[in-house]
Amino acid sequence: MSTAVGPRLDVHDLLGPRTVPITKSEFTIGRRSSNDLHLTGADISRDHAEIVQVNALYLIRDKGSRYGTFVNGSRITERTLSHGDRIELGRGGGAELVFLVNDAPADNADPSIGGDLRQMSMLLETLRNMGSGRVLDEVLMMALDSAIEVTGAERGFIMLPNERGALEMKIARGTGRLSLPVGGFATSRKIPEEVYASGRERIVADLREGDLLQAHQGTIAMGIRHVLCTPLRLVRYLDRIDAHADPTSIGVLYLDSREKGKLLSQATRGALETLAREAAAAIENARLYRETLEKARIDQELRTAAEIQQALLPSPRKSAGFFSAVASSIPCRAIGGDFYDYLDLPDGKFGFALGDVAGKGPPAALLTAVLQGIFSAQAFTQDDASAITARVNRILLSRNIESRFATAFFGILTPSGELTYTNAGHNAPFLFGRTGVRRLETGGMVLGLFPQATYAQETVRLDHGDLLVVFSDGVSEALAANGEEFGDERIYGALAGFLAEAPDQLIERLLAAVHDFTHGAIQNDDITALIVKYG
Amino acid sequence: MTIEQRSVGSVTILDLNGRLVLGDGSGLLKDKVHSLAFQGHRQIVLNLGGLSYMDSAGLGELIASHTTVSRDGGRIKIANLTKSVSDLLTITKVLTVFDAYDSESEAVKSFGASS
Repeated sequence: MSTAVGPRLDVHDLLGPRTVPITKSEFTIGRRSSNDLHLTGADISRDHAEIVQVNALYLIRDKGSRYGTFVNGSRITERTLSHGDRIELGRGGGAELVFLVNDAPADNADPSIGGDLRQMSMLLETLRNMGSGRVLDEVLMMALDSAIEVTGAERGFIMLPNERGALEMKIARGTGRLSLPVGGFATSRKIPEEVYASGRERIVADLREGDLLQAHQGTIAMGIRHVLCTPLRLVRYLDRIDAHADPTSIGVLYLDSREKGKLLSQATRGALETLAREAAAAIENARLYRETLEKARIDQELRTAAEIQQALLPSPRKSAGFFSAVASSIPCRAIGGDFYDYLDLPDGKFGFALGDVAGKGPPAALLTAVLQGIFSAQAFTQDDASAITARVNRILLSRNIESRFATAFFGILTPSGELTYTNAGHNAPFLFGRTGVRRLETGGMVLGLFPQATYAQETVRLDHGDLLVVFSDGVSEALAANGEEFGDERIYGALAGFLAEAPDQLIERLLAAVHDFTHGAIQNDDITALIVKYG
Repeated sequence: MTIEQRSVGSVTILDLNGRLVLGDGSGLLKDKVHSLAFQGHRQIVLNLGGLSYMDSAGLGELIASHTTVSRDGGRIKIANLTKSVSDLLTITKVLTVFDAYDSESEAVKSFGASS
């Protein structure tokens, strides 16, 4: 290593890194060979720039170059230089110089850190207010840019663990707030993974030394020697248990450089530690915020789905001269697996169905919509209840949705009071008649599981005032806080004394009874009931 | 729900304990039976005596297990049905799909008679 003390330039260009002392008070730089620093490169003008000593200060002056002179990323015509300043001549195809005057570490306690962090929290706040989903990306970018600026590193990246706990590069940036392709950042994962696992910072003064040489051939070939890799650790604990082995490590910040510059100085590392801590908190907050947003989006979609599902159900009340009907369906989650439907069939007949798809929530709801559609389409084929139900079974089976099935009750009522029904594995409805109560059980197995299933039907003659109560197992199996089931007897008990009332009042009584019974307990299944009164 | 496996002669017995319901160990039974069928077990008795509750998703799993074994030429029999499980199988009219026995020993014996 050079031991030169005094004004000098660390030069990085196509010829490779080297140190050139500034030996004259007017030190010229350019492509012309008579310059004090002779550089090659398409972006460099013949007489590109000069460094001039004025008393104890050094100035850099652009000499009207075609592609410009930049100090720490800003284009200049004239600028006072301080220790550690990065000078770029031209963009991309030019050269990069680092101005050095002594061996002392660069300015410590970089005032820009506090500013950057304030800026970061302000940005975070703004993005939150805007409801932006890009908070995390923005925070990562700011944290990384700040880290690069504070340390004078040439490039850096941040890795965060994915759902499986494996580190993934989330963002890569270069000096001058340049975005680097995440996939194109060539370096070994060895160092970041070690740092993430151990939770300890790692500083590599020279990649060519020790065990790192083999894994870093590519990086070394680019002239990069110095690496600083620090864990992003959460100092402030959140009120939740993190499954990760090291609950405080949320990721890794990796910086590297061809120029030792400030990267490895004690003061820079102190500043970086503060930055990493703040960044970790900001990243974690942004991540939590994004999850909240995502959850809000799903909630919104579910609300929309619930509206659509309710819209698929017919209006709960229906009546004609010979009957009046009412139904209610209360899903236990946003959307449910129960449905009911009314169908105006040919010859003035009234068709109705109540079904229950196994399971709850969105998967059940999707199948429910399909089942309801199949039922209403099949009901118009003029076939009897038995044939229609058998066909619904076969159609469901052909969809081959493993271990998903449905139960359903399907009835057709004629104006003269003939009720023909099929019960496909559904809770047997109550038929309250003048002569007593009976259950409607005739039918067959649940729908959608057995190709050989057949469905019997029964025709019952109804008298004026007869009442049919169809319900899903969410009614009969509604649970009280103590684990007791509502049960069929309570359905009977809630209605038996009030059979003269209208269906509207009866369904109110039934739902009120369930509600009182389960008082305080969480609804555990979709609750659906349908009441038809003949005459 | 927990599942414990035993053997009586050539018959594999699975003791089901707890609740066979959506979410609470969903898929456990199906996976277990699938792996047994894969290993060539053809005679399986499900001892349901310790099953306190089964919902419709649980019933779906029970039927799927039955289908898996039948497809491989095997047979699943069920024994010791509690009232709630028996009610569910009756309402849904799938009780006839299974060979149901009052006790495990009857279920095991029935394999001897049929083979």
